[in-house]
Formats: sequence, structure tokens, C-alpha cells
Amino acid sequence: MLSETAILRIKDQIARYPHRESALMPALDTAQRENGNYLSREAIREVAGLVGVTFSKAYGVATYYSMYNTERVGRYHLCVDTNVPAYLAGAERILAHLCRTLKIRVGETTPDGLFTLSEVEDLGSCGTCPVIQVNDVYYEKMTVAKTDALIASLREGIMPPRKDGSHYGTACSILLKNRGRKNAHTLAVYKRTGGYKALAKALAMQPAELLDMVKHATVRGRGGAGFPAGMKWGFLPKNDPRPVYLICNADEGEPGTFKDRQIMQYDPHLLIEGMAIAAHTIGCRQAFIYIRGEFEWIARILEEAIGEAKTAGLLGQLDIIVHRGKGSYECGEETALIESLEGKRGCPRIKPPFPANVGLYGCPTIVNNVETLSVMPFVVAHGPEAFRAIGTVGNYGPKLFGVSGAVRKPGVYEFPLGTPLETVLAAAGGVVGQLKAVIVGGLSVPILTAEEARGLPLDYDACIKAGTMLGSGGIMVMNEKVSIPSIALRAIEFYAHESCGQCTPCREGSVVVKRLLQGLVAGRGSAADIDTVLSICDTVIGSTLCPTGDAWGMPIRAMVRKFRTEFESLIR
Amino acid sequence: MNIILNNQSYEVPDGLTVLEAARRCGVYIPSLCYHPKTGPAGKCRACVVEIEGLRGLQTACTVRVRDGMKVFSNTERVLQAQRLVIDLLLSSGEHDCLSCEQNGVCELQQAAYFLGIERPTFRIERDRADDRSAEFIDRDPARCIACGRCVAGCNSTVVNEVLDFGFRAGETAVIVDDDLPMGASSCVQCGECVQLCPTGALTDKKARGLGRAWELEKVNTTCPYCGVGCQVTLHVDRARNRVVRVTGREVSPNQGMLCVKGRYAYEFPSSDKRLKYPMIKKDGQHVRVSWDEALDYTASRIKTIIDQHGPDTFSAFGSGRITNENNYAIQKFTRAVIGTNNVDHCART
Amino acid sequence: MTNSIEELQDAKVLFVIGSNTTEAHPVISYYMKRAVKRGATLVVSDPRKTDLTRWATLHVQHKVGTDIAYINGLIHEIFKNGWAREDFLRECTENPDVIREGVRDYPVEKASEICGVPVETMRRVARILGEAESTSLCYTLGITEHICGTDNVKTLANLQMVLGNLGKPAAGVNPLRGQNNVQGACDMGALPNVFHNYQPVNNPELSAKIAKAWGVPSLPQKPGYTMPTMLRKALDGGTKILYCVGDNTVQTEPHMAHTIKELEALEFFVVCDIFDNLTTPYADVIFPDTAWGEEDGTFTNSERRVQRVRRALTPPGEARSHWWVMQELGKRLGKDLGFTSANAVWEDMRKSATSCAGITWERIESLGLQWPCPTLEHPGTTFLHRDGRFTRGKGLFSVTKWIPQAEPPDAEYPLVLSTGRRLWHYHSGTQTRNSKGFENIFGEELLEISPADAAALGIRNGDRVRATSRRGSIELTAWVTDRSAPGVVWCAFHFAEVCANVLTIDKFDSVTETAEYKACAIRVEKIGDGQPLGAGISRQARP
Ligand SMILES: Cc1cc2nc3c(=O)[nH]c(=O)nc-3n(C[C@H](O)[C@H](O)[C@H](O)COP(=O)(O)O)c2cc1C
Ligand code: SF4
Ligand code: SF4
Ligand code: SF4
Ligand code: SF4
Repeated sequence: MLSETAILRIKDQIARYPHRESALMPALDTAQRENGNYLSREAIREVAGLVGVTFSKAYGVATYYSMYNTERVGRYHLCVDTNVPAYLAGAERILAHLCRTLKIRVGETTPDGLFTLSEVEDLGSCGTCPVIQVNDVYYEKMTVAKTDALIASLREGIMPPRKDGSHYGTACSILLKNRGRKNAHTLAVYKRTGGYKALAKALAMQPAELLDMVKHATVRGRGGAGFPAGMKWGFLPKNDPRPVYLICNADEGEPGTFKDRQIMQYDPHLLIEGMAIAAHTIGCRQAFIYIRGEFEWIARILEEAIGEAKTAGLLGQLDIIVHRGKGSYECGEETALIESLEGKRGCPRIKPPFPANVGLYGCPTIVNNVETLSVMPFVVAHGPEAFRAIGTVGNYGPKLFGVSGAVRKPGVYEFPLGTPLETVLAAAGGVVGQLKAVIVGGLSVPILTAEEARGLPLDYDACIKAGTMLGSGGIMVMNEKVSIPSIALRAIEFYAHESCGQCTPCREGSVVVKRLLQGLVAGRGSAADIDTVLSICDTVIGSTLCPTGDAWGMPIRAMVRKFRTEFESLIR
Repeated sequence: MNIILNNQSYEVPDGLTVLEAARRCGVYIPSLCYHPKTGPAGKCRACVVEIEGLRGLQTACTVRVRDGMKVFSNTERVLQAQRLVIDLLLSSGEHDCLSCEQNGVCELQQAAYFLGIERPTFRIERDRADDRSAEFIDRDPARCIACGRCVAGCNSTVVNEVLDFGFRAGETAVIVDDDLPMGASSCVQCGECVQLCPTGALTDKKARGLGRAWELEKVNTTCPYCGVGCQVTLHVDRARNRVVRVTGREVSPNQGMLCVKGRYAYEFPSSDKRLKYPMIKKDGQHVRVSWDEALDYTASRIKTIIDQHGPDTFSAFGSGRITNENNYAIQKFTRAVIGTNNVDHCART
Repeated sequence: MTNSIEELQDAKVLFVIGSNTTEAHPVISYYMKRAVKRGATLVVSDPRKTDLTRWATLHVQHKVGTDIAYINGLIHEIFKNGWAREDFLRECTENPDVIREGVRDYPVEKASEICGVPVETMRRVARILGEAESTSLCYTLGITEHICGTDNVKTLANLQMVLGNLGKPAAGVNPLRGQNNVQGACDMGALPNVFHNYQPVNNPELSAKIAKAWGVPSLPQKPGYTMPTMLRKALDGGTKILYCVGDNTVQTEPHMAHTIKELEALEFFVVCDIFDNLTTPYADVIFPDTAWGEEDGTFTNSERRVQRVRRALTPPGEARSHWWVMQELGKRLGKDLGFTSANAVWEDMRKSATSCAGITWERIESLGLQWPCPTLEHPGTTFLHRDGRFTRGKGLFSVTKWIPQAEPPDAEYPLVLSTGRRLWHYHSGTQTRNSKGFENIFGEELLEISPADAAALGIRNGDRVRATSRRGSIELTAWVTDRSAPGVVWCAFHFAEVCANVLTIDKFDSVTETAEYKACAIRVEKIGDGQPLGAGISRQARP
């Protein structure tokens, strides 16, 4: 039975959205929080009743997202990220240590009901891993000693405060210009550095003028695909009676990527101003920030900032809802994100139609990445030419690069697009040991050997020429100690876990490749298995419903092809 | 308009998808998640083809034909992609066709046969128990290929809203309400999901073992229950003189949909409690007589009484459950033979 | 139905009254629910909380038997707000002022007092209907099975005419027929006042035409008796022979004890059926009929679609089609009716038919045709009164007045019993109960009673209870559920062992002689403890 307060809260959540079904995810979250972090079947039924969806739909949603606990968990739910960047930082050791300390296996709860230990996928903390998430709080840069201290404190019933701080640096001072400034997340500080002037300027302009400006600036989308934002906005149907929605994609789920959180946590108003500019340009009154649920504290920072901006009358008629994801990488894909925002399972839609025409609630919708929207104030304030002055031809503006793995100062660095890889790696303190391979655009892009990576200008076109993609700019550095087959296995485990399960090649193919790589890494494989992996990847690429098939087919194939001897050496 | 399919030119009407067009041209492209009623889903990826001018592989079920479009469904690249899909589906389930009710009409089996897949390459073990809890529908999740036709049917054609997908990735499964056994769920056993299922994952329990699809004769008729008049096909075992299964016809007024009565209440004609012989009450007992005796007796009684008391002492009930022809026969008999208008039926219930 | 079944899915507004569609006409309910999914507004008016109400925008629980007051109140409100379609009234109806005047006595406040629907709700419904571009109205026996059934139907027709909802798609007045072929039985002239295709028996010209077609010198022109009259007259000797085909009269007529008395008074009673039932014991002669699946022929559905039924099985023993029996009896009584096959019977009908004259078995080989279909070239008719043209010329309003039910509840019999059908069974149960599995799902009749009434009577879910009316009593299990409104209990008539018709009242509508199955007074008492019923009984996919 839900409490009176929970029911009221859920009713508020329902009232908050244009369509009540959208409140399903937050309502399930409310029910879970109310009940010791556990979502019982009865609670799901009650939520279904309140929101007005069928039992099967509510249950389908509750079992889709990994942050809903349909099994009981302990008072402290310890989630250790062991994805590739964390693996490179030794997260496995932390996990093993926790097993030993708590005397439980992964997935189990201590008999006193205090701790549940889970191994989870990427937490968006690649520059500061190993990371342990305890309920809503991240504990980053963990060591064995720090882990012991954390457990000791939790046993006392005390959640230690979260500590910030990854390395960072900026050569542009646009996206990270306020980083390091005290209370940069407040409106007062933001305004002091010229904040919201661009919005004022934009509001004085005609939407068409603004659109031309953004088009001319050629802001390529920073979410991964590099599609120019102005062109995307231009696809919105003209004179259409339906409302237009703007969604900021803050799902930041791509392993190796932890850049958007830097903006949202330290300079939320930059994003909000960017969104307000975009909203004015495309004629949108209701916008959303879809943020991954693990970033709960950042979601609260955003909500606070939106509140401040609203109170200050800066947003006019624009409303921005912060919607939390609940543990699904796939929801970063824009159509899956829209489905999720509609209160459904995060399964991508067939395109066409594209969201610009049929998106959220069947209405024209623009989805842009946090970073894409956050450069808009600069574009408006300084003009498109100033933006084009940064970067290389066709690849303009500043870019955040998240560097993780074998570097001395993993962190986030702002450089103009087209900056050579070496420059970025140097800013990150240089490679520890011998550079063996590097993934420059998040886990979904093909790996580069040290040879291939040499002198690579980090921009969209140069990366494609080099046989990879810039993607989200999540750079994972691997030195001579790293076993590529292990990385490949860890990568496919991730995709096999995160596949939405809709289409056959991705759902089943990822499982088969995972089994084959498990066999190989465990020394049970054969040469034929290597060929089978390659042939499955070859076939899966280009044959799935959404880009996720490619997102694992291409990197796995590249790892096998480029480091085949390493795979072969595993055959006994 | 004209399309070129595997280098051969065909005339096809406007507005079709490539898959529909190919079907009309008699070219088989494997497809599993598409059903005309639930529409293109683009999920199973079995129908991928190459289309000149478009990058990568395209699903034939989602792309509409354009005049002059060049489509290839038989290139090595296409066949390899199709083979992987079918192979993975066979690998991830327990497709022992011998014991499967759907053998012979299974769309997965058909696709495998077409692509020359004899046995699955991989073995993906999954723990999926049968659900035999419902009265009329058996669920064998190990034969489910997650095509989603049943889910779409339950939610958008019959709108009973019982089924959905639960869990995700390799664990993705069709769930009944909040993952209940079907027999304990809100399912009303309309059987739409069974009719839409391309494989043996959802089957008619009562038909199990009573005859292979190709052994049964199909007879189209109208449902004998309510006034909707659903069109059905009876699957008949002539030798044993019984109906083995009922399916809905995809025509007006029901478009394939039925309710539990129309789909599953079909054995009553074969009940051994049927009235089989004419009977006359003799000394308070009904005794079997020949038709001639019964008819002669009836005619003479009728004649005696109406001769004496007039035709209006005769009344007849037709029925809302018998055929038009029989009702007409009754009214004509009453009016033309007896000479009264005392004919009615229970039109009101 | 004036309109077609599939049109319902395109409706913008659906007004469903007195119809438990999800159980009695499931496939029609699918189309209604589809319309809701596409954004239609669904208003369900029913004293009971039927399954369909879970998809409804608005569920209006008017009191049993107050339909006229309720609908007249809506019409009043529609006029008051200027929502009436004046153009339709002017051009397509004969006497619009009569209705304007006629609902004067039913301002919503007064109507609300009678029907128990809050004034605000009535206003809301009126607004929904009034502002809708078009509304499709569907009703079933909840409307007709009252002593004022005819007036109930007229009132609904008035509403739809005032709203101009006739003669266009996804609109109309749509009675959903309870049995598979009631429509056909009517169309084929199994009615006392008309021949096939509704040709009046008292029209000399038509009578002569049909007599000629049938090869008889003349036909009786005095309309015959309706079923209740036929039965009633058995007691005074007016009916001596009853020839009953496919009708389990004892179980399906109201007031069972009385029905039995009537049958016992007959001189000669012939029953033709497929099973022994509660009626066969009284028969002097029993003819074994062929069942569905054993003979060729046609059925006509609610949307006037004539469709084929086919022989797939060999009938058991010596069961024969009834047209053959008629032919044989005719011969013995001196007349060859010319029935050599079912198709020949249809062709015989067609010779003197009107609206079905264009329908041949050949034409409906794969898909049925909807009458009117007067000629072989005619494509059939999906909806009637196109552009507001009525068969009789212009639409005619007739004013209706609310009357209370025949037997209002009182101190001795304080509850209203309403009866109807369940999803799992059909009619007197012979077909469904002789099919496998149905008894396992729903094997005994339950008395649905509201939690409030149950509490007052000390009845818990699953207890054994006795229900008693002035006419008899039955013992059954109680299902305590909010499907029933306080003051109303409900059960079905499918089970011979515990049949609602032991209790129902033999009071009839004066025109159609339909009995008031939907309302009689009873009392309920607990007679023993029982097992609580499982949650599965209510089968709800959404709360
Ligand atoms: C599997 C998958 C995951 C994705 N995850 C993210 C993500 O976490 N954040 C993001 O901004 N874009 C992500 N994208 C890209 C989005 O689909 C979309 O292209 C992007 O949000 C558009 O914004 P942009 O044009 O500003 O880059 C993902 C795409 C795929 C296929
Ligand atoms: S490719 Fe994977 S994630 Fe994308 S739709 Fe298919 S199964 Fe879902
Ligand atoms: S579902 Fe099809 S492929 Fe699977 S066992 Fe049955 S017949 Fe064979
Ligand atoms: S039988 Fe009907 S109600 Fe039940 S799951 Fe299948 S489609 Fe849904
Ligand atoms: S049960 Fe059948 S229809 Fe449903 S998803 Fe599985 S294979 Fe498809």
C-alpha cells in the first residue's frame, strides 16, 4: 500500500506532464523509494492504477529499466561499475574486495540486510573510476582503502558526503569557462559572467534569423552522430498546428563519456540558456531534459537552476521538465528516449518518420545533446563567424573530450575540434606506459592501434577517414598491459545487457558473440570461433533496427581484426 | 507502377510496401513480425533486402515501393543477413517441429526451409517454462521469437490489453498481465494472439494432437453465438466427424477477431447428449419412433385440432438461433399451410 | 443497426447504453475500444459497472429503468444550449416542435431526481453529445427488456434525430442483437405481423403478391399473436398447438413456474431442438434438429449482413434440417412447399422478397451482403437513411414519458434484480456447457451484489445465498463486487439449475411484448458460508 504522501506525489507527477503515461517512470520511482528501494508487484499494480496503464505495461516498464528493483535490496545498494573505462582503472579489484569484505557474491544481500552488491554497467564516471554508487550517491576514484572506510561508515549508518573533482582543462573557455568558479551553478554567478545575455539577444531576434545563424555556424551534434543542429531544426514542418517539443539528451550512457555532467553540474544555466535559445528558434514551449537516473544529484541541481531561471522570469513561457532515466543505455538513442519519455520501454522506433516530424506524443520533436545545446549561447552572443573561427573546416567550435584509461590525469578537456590526439592526451598528463590502442569516440566506435592513432586530428571527418568515429569524444587509452580480447568481451557483455531486445540480430547476436568471446578468453575457444565472431559482426552491421547493432558490430570486428593474433594466442 | 524485383519487372499498385508488393508478385521474402493486421514492426529483420540507391539493408516491410524501384531479395548479402536472423531464432529456442502443433504452417519453419537452414548453428540456453495454465491457450515460450504480433494484437486489434513485453535484451519475453500464468490472468481467451502467432509459441490447447494442419478440411461459416456474426473457418476432421479448431476469417465484420465462444465453444454438435431420433410421448415417456411415424402423427394431430378449433389455435415459434431458411420455412408453413399468422420468435432476448 | 459494426472504430463519440458489450458482443467491444484508443470519447450509461466502463471517458450510473427520464433530460439540455441540429430537424424530420415541446417536463434537475445521475454529470454528457460532430449510439437489451422498452427505443431515436446523427457513417441508432440470428428471424418473417422483409400481413396488395408466389389462393390478413400472448392463451384454450423450434421456452421466458403451467395446458406441443432441455419434457413430439455446422444456410447479423453457414459435419442419428420437416409436414397436410434444399428455400424467399431480393448464395460465397439489397446489381447498404432520407419519408418524433418499473422494490423485496449474459456462456447454456472447458472457467451461476448491500445482509464473497421474488426462489453463490450498484443485484440465465427466470416478472412492453427481464423486486438472504471467490473471477487487465 502506497502512503498518502506517495500518492499525492504521484498525482503531482501525473499533472506535471502533457500526457499522464509519461509519469509512469517517476511514479514507479516514487513507489520504490517509499518502500526501502524495492518495487513490489503490488506497488506496481497500484502505480498502474494511478497512472492509468495496464498491469502488463507497468510491469514491462518496471522490468525493463535496471534501476527498478523488483527484488528486495539491502539498505545500502552498492553498485560497482566495471565497464571498460572502470575495468582499465581496476574496478574488478574493488568488486572482488567488496565480495571478500561483505562475504557475499555479486547480486547477493548480506544476511543483516544492510548491503546488496551489484555489478553494473557504465555509470558515466569514466574519468573518476573506480566508482561505487550507493543508493543515490556516487563515491568516485575509489581505492581499496577508501572502500574499507566507506563500508565502515555505512555500517555506522552514515553516508559519507559525495566528493567532486575530476581533472579538467580548457583551451577554449566556452563550455568549461565557469568550471572552478565557486557556486558556478547559481544564477547569480552565472549572470556575473555574462550569462543570459545571449538569450536576451536571441529573444529580440526572429526565429528564422536565429535558425539561419545556427545553420551558418554549422554546429554538428555532439551526441555522437555529428549531424548539424541547424539542419535538423530546419526539418521541422512549417505551419503545423501540433506543439513542438525540445528534448535535451542528457542520458550520457556511452562508456567513456562523462562530459555532459560537467556542464550540468557546474554550469547548469549554460545548458538552460542554450535550451531557451533553441526553444525560441523552433517555437517550443515545453522542453525536457532526459537525464540518466544515476545522476540524481545533478538532476536536482538542474531542477533548482530551472526554478531560479523561471523565478527570475528568464524563461518566459518555456517550461522545462527534468525526466530521469532509470538505467538503460539504449534510452540515449533518440527514439528510444522519446518512447521512454512517453512512459514506455526504451525500444527505438523505426525511422522514418523522424522525430522532427513525428516525435514525442506524435508531435514534431528536436532531440539534442547537452553539449550541442550548450554552445548555443556562444553562437548567439559572438555570432556564427566566431564559432567557425574555432576548429577545422566543417568541424567548428569547441569540443569536450573525456579522457580515461591509461593516462596520468584522466578527466575532461575542452579543445577546438580538430585538435590532434596527442595534444589532448598531453593535457591529460600523458599516457601511462606504452600506448597500445585507443578508442576515441566512446565504446561504440572502432578501436585504433597506436599506429593508426598517431597524429589523428580529433574531428568528425578526420576520424571517419581514419576508419573510426569521433562519436561522443570519449577517449579510452589502452597501454601494453591491456588485453584486447578482455576489452572485447567486456564490451559485448555491455551490449548484450543493454540491447533493448526488439530485433533479432542485436538481441540474439550479442548473446552469441558474448558466449564465443567468453569461451575464447577462458581458453575454451577455437579459430573457427574467431571467424564466427567476425562473420556475425559483418552480418549484423547494417541489418538492425537502430544503430546499436553497428555500435557493437563495428568495434568488436575492429578489435578482432586489428588484434587477431592476440585472440589466436588464447586458443589452446 | 513498375518495380524491378530480382531483375524482373512487375506491375504493382501504388502504396504497397516492398514486402506486400513482393508477395503479390509471388516472390517469397521471409518475414515474421509483419502481419497485415498489426502492421510493419521492422523487428525480426528477416525481410531485409537491398534497394538500389538506399544505403545498407532495408526491411521490405517498412519501405514503400516507388516507381522504377530496384529491389534485390536474393543477393548473397541479403541471404546471409536473412540466414543469420533465422539461425539465431532457431538457436535461441527449442524448435522441435515434430512435437509442435504449428508444424507445417509455421512461418519460422517456412523461412528456415526457404533459406536452406537444416539445424541451428548455435545453442542459446534459456530457462523458459511452458505455461499450460489457461483453459484454451497453451504457451510455449521456448518457441517464442519475440516478434510481438500477439502483443500488438492483444493491445491494438482486440484491445484486451493483457499482453506486453517484459524484461529486456536476451531476457525479453511476452508477459501476461504482470507476468502471471495465463490461467490466473485477466486474459479473456479470445485467441487473437494464437491466430497471430507465426510459430508454435501460442497454440490451441484443445486441438493438440487432433490433426495436422494439412489433414484438416477447412470450411468457412458464421459463428453461432451473438449477433455480431463473426466469420470463421472450421478445421474439420471428416473421418472422425468433428471440428478440431476454429479460426477467424480476416474479412468483415470481424477481421479475424473472435471471442472465446466463437473460437472455442465448438464441440457441442459432437456431444453425445444430442437429440438423435424423433420421439413421441407415449404413456408419459418419450419413445423413439421413425420419422414417418412422427411426421404422420404430428400432421394428424394438427389437422384434427385445427379442423375442430380453427387455425388460430395453432402457434409456432421460430428462433433467433436457427438459419434464415429454417425461419422462412416455419413462417411459410404457418401462413400458407395452417393459415394463421401466429408465428413469432424470441426476438427479445 | 442503422450503421455497420466496423464503422464503430471510426466514431468520435460513442454513447453506449444498456449494453454489456465486452461480454455480450465482445467483437463489437473491440471496435469500440479501438475507437477509444484512437481518441474517441466513450460514454457508457449503465447501472452496472460493466467491463467496458474501464475504457470509458465517463461512466454514468443511472438507475435501472430510468432511461426515458435520463435521455429526455439530455435532450432538454441539448435544446437549451442550442446543440440541436436545427438543419437536420428542419429538413429531415416531420415534427421537430413536438419533441421540443415533449421534453419540456424533463429539465436536467428533474430528470436527475428520477435517474439518480448528478445534474453536473448530465450536463457533461449533454455537452459531449451536443458538441460532437457525430455520435454513434449503441444499445442492447438493457433498453428493450423493460415494460417501456418501445418507448426507451423511441427516446434514443429522438436523441439521435435531435443531434442529426442519422444517415451518416459512424453514427446512428444501433441495437446490438443478442442472438446470432434474431435479425434473420425477423427478416424472414418469423413475426406475427409481417412476412419476410417486413411486408405487413394486413396489406392486401402484398398479401396477394405473396399468396401468388406461394401458390395459395389467399393468406390470413389478421396479424397473429406474439409469443407471450400465444403462451397466455394456452391457459384459456385459445392456443392448443404450440410448434416450437429451437427455443428453450421454460428457461428463457420470465416467471418459469408460470411458463410451465402454460405449456402443460397445451393440447399438442411439438419441440424441435438439438438437446434435451428444460422444455423438452413437456413435448408430445420431439424432432431432432441439425445443429450449427451440420447444415447449409444463412444467418443475418446485427448490421443486416446476410452470411453463409455451411455444413461441415454429418448430423448424428437421424437429425434433420428443419426446412425438410416443414416440407414433409406440408406434404402431409396437403401442400408442397417446394423445399428441396436450403438454397431452394432461400430462392423461394427471394421470389417475393424486397430488401433481400438481390442477395443470392452465389453472391455471398466469400463475403456477406448487407440489406437493403433489392437487386442483383445492388452492392448492399452499409448504413441506412443516407443523408437523412428515411424509408417513411421524414423522421417522426414521438414523445415519451417515464414510467416506473412494473414491480418496484419495497420493504419485503427491497432489491432490484437485473439479468443478462456472461462472456463465458450463451443463452440457456446448451451450446457452451456442451463444449469443453467452459464449465471449468465459469461453472456455476453467481449472484452479483454490491459490497454495501452484501455488508448490510452479512454476506461475504462466496457465501451461499437464496434469492426470492414473488414468483419463486433460487439458491446460488454470492459474488460481492462493485460491478453491481447498491440496490441492484444481477445474475444470468445460462444455468438451468439456478435460472434467473425463476424470479423474473412476466410483465411486458405493450407493443413488442418484451418482458421486463431487467427489473424485478427480490430479497436476498444468506444461507451458508462458502469459499471466497478467487481474484481471477473479475479478470481485469487494467484497474
Ligand atoms: C545506442 C545509442 C545511444 C546513444 N546515447 C546517447 C547519449 O547518451 N547521449 C546523447 O546525447 N546521444 C546519444 N545517442 C545519439 C542520439 O540518438 C542522438 O543522435 C543525439 O542525442 C542527437 O543530439 P545531437 O544532434 O545534438 O548530437 C545515442 C545513440 C545511440 C544509437
Ligand atoms: S539494434 Fe538492438 S537496441 Fe536497437 S532496436 Fe534492435 S535490439 Fe533494440
Ligand atoms: S515453432 Fe515452428 S520452427 Fe518452432 S518447433 Fe514449431 S513448427 Fe518448428
Ligand atoms: S487470448 Fe485474447 S485477451 Fe488473451 S492474451 Fe490472447 S489476445 Fe489477449
Ligand atoms: S508468442 Fe508468438 S506472436 Fe507472440 S511474440 Fe512470441 S512468437 Fe510472436
